[in-house]
Amino acid sequence: MHLQRYGLAVLSVAVALGAALLLQHFQFRDAAVPLLLFAGAVSSWYGGQGPAVLTVLLSLMGFAYFFVPPIYSLRVAPSELPYFIIFASFTSLITWFATIRRRVEADLRQARDKLEIEVAQRTQQASLLDLTHDTIFVRDINGVITYWNRGAEEFYGWTQKEAIGKRPADLLHTVFPKPFEEIWDELRQTDRWEGELTHTKADGVQVIVASRWSLQRDQQRRPVAILETGNDITARKSWEEEMQALNQELAKRSIALEATNKELEAFAYSISHDLRAPLRHTAGFAELLSKSAASSLNEKSQRYLAMILEAAKRMGNLIDDLLAFSRISRAEAHNSAVSLQQLVQEAVAEVRQDAKGRKIVWKIDPLPEWYGDRSMLRLALVNLISNAVKFSRTRTQAKIEIGCTEHKSDHVVLFVRDNGVGFDMKYSNKLFGVFQRLHPQEAFEGTGIGLATVQRIVHRHGGRVWAEGAVNGGATFYFSLSKITGAN
Amino acid sequence: MEALGRILLVEDDPKDVELTLTALDEYNLANEVVVAGDGEQALDFLYYRGNFMRRARENPAVLLLDLKLPKVDGLEVLKQIKGDENLKMIPVVVLTSSHEEKDMVASYELGVNAYVVKPVDFHEFVNAIKELGVFWAVINEPPPGSIRKK
Repeated sequence: MHLQRYGLAVLSVAVALGAALLLQHFQFRDAAVPLLLFAGAVSSWYGGQGPAVLTVLLSLMGFAYFFVPPIYSLRVAPSELPYFIIFASFTSLITWFATIRRRVEADLRQARDKLEIEVAQRTQQASLLDLTHDTIFVRDINGVITYWNRGAEEFYGWTQKEAIGKRPADLLHTVFPKPFEEIWDELRQTDRWEGELTHTKADGVQVIVASRWSLQRDQQRRPVAILETGNDITARKSWEEEMQALNQELAKRSIALEATNKELEAFAYSISHDLRAPLRHTAGFAELLSKSAASSLNEKSQRYLAMILEAAKRMGNLIDDLLAFSRISRAEAHNSAVSLQQLVQEAVAEVRQDAKGRKIVWKIDPLPEWYGDRSMLRLALVNLISNAVKFSRTRTQAKIEIGCTEHKSDHVVLFVRDNGVGFDMKYSNKLFGVFQRLHPQEAFEGTGIGLATVQRIVHRHGGRVWAEGAVNGGATFYFSLSKITGAN
Repeated sequence: MEALGRILLVEDDPKDVELTLTALDEYNLANEVVVAGDGEQALDFLYYRGNFMRRARENPAVLLLDLKLPKVDGLEVLKQIKGDENLKMIPVVVLTSSHEEKDMVASYELGVNAYVVKPVDFHEFVNAIKELGVFWAVINEPPPGSIRKK
């Protein structure tokens, strides 16, 4: 490269000198100076500073040698010096100009390269912006769209060409949550704004967009553009509204439920108080009567009194059971980890108290740990086990088995089986109703609330209860418990 | 014979009063009983007001208190007694028809000395009342300022 440039310098001087000598030969005088100046200009134009200096030196030497007397000598008469100086100055000037030109050219080239790099980067960034699903567009300070990414194209349905040059509010029929002036104020103060906007797409569909605005400023801090990024929250919004409506409905219902519960509670309280008192009086005065009139009453009358007492007692039991039953629905569940094994053992121990003198073979399988309301589960087990004891009373050797048929992570199934009198499967749907009884009171006493209580407890534990049996073939009661956590 | 008033029975139901007195009579305690038909009367008795203005300045040895009462209910009476410096030492036994747990909890929170649910069965009822009467009016040493046995 250098060689070429310096070669050009030497060559241009040689050509100029040759041409000048040739012209002199044909009697054209004084052509040497302009030709050498031309050579200087050419070599400095194309070769740059170094070759230009070389050209000037060679030109001066060639001129001195060939054209200034004494000819063929580098010596120069002093009278010719001003001529030389002017020549040298002139060539220097040309060289200087050429150098400036070259520098400008180099600067320009550099600027162009930089610009190209920047354009490449910007293009890359812009195409990155196209990758996002969010809508991104830029509006200049006059509110005219200058950038519109592919996300915006796809979402709103307008191409970049259609959108650029329009005003967003006109294009999208923007509905602002508050006056635009307030948004603009906030944007100017903080350089950002966030909010929900309603836009209308090209197909006329209205959408709700979570929009984020950023203000771009120039070096003098003057606002120049606004970048708007948005994502579609229409579905979320409508879901939220739906949720809100549902929640309101739920709140209404729970208030109604609470009121019903309160009423029920007051009702139960009143039963517990006011219904038991007359019973106590019936029983009490019947008792007093039988005592004070024992001698004057015949056997029949005494039997009547005994029946009044018995009826009162039974009524008392019914009320107690019914209250206990209603309490299960009213009471809050206190859920905790419970050992079903231990609960069964406790329930069996309690029931055995009332079954002294009976011959019962117990078979209790290992039972898992579970989660639920301890006292409720215990009550359910006591009811089921005491039923098993009661209805196997007619057997010379009763056999009661308690176990677990299924143990999954989210539910268990337990059963209580006896070899008692059983029941007819066609009445199995009646087993769990309140006051439903399948046996006469004389054969098996009871209020008909026990299994209803069991069912309610099991339901509160997210499970179900069912039974299998046959007349005189024993009965098996199954119940499942779901893994309930926390509130019920 | 005027009641000594060592047992203050606060009970609005005359049948319950009669049954209770019958039960207490077996130990000759019936004449110890003063009956208040509602909470207001009970408080009148304790504060020497109204009909009880001229009674001796002594506290009953025990107060048998029903919860469901006209005018001022049992829990309110209990609250006033246990909140009064002069009355709070009187042993109070709640005698109620109710099995309701919240009544029991509320009574104990207010400082009741015993809580008895009246049994429906008459024998059990009589036994319960007799035991109560005997324990609080005979066996138990009442706090200072109480009416003494004669």
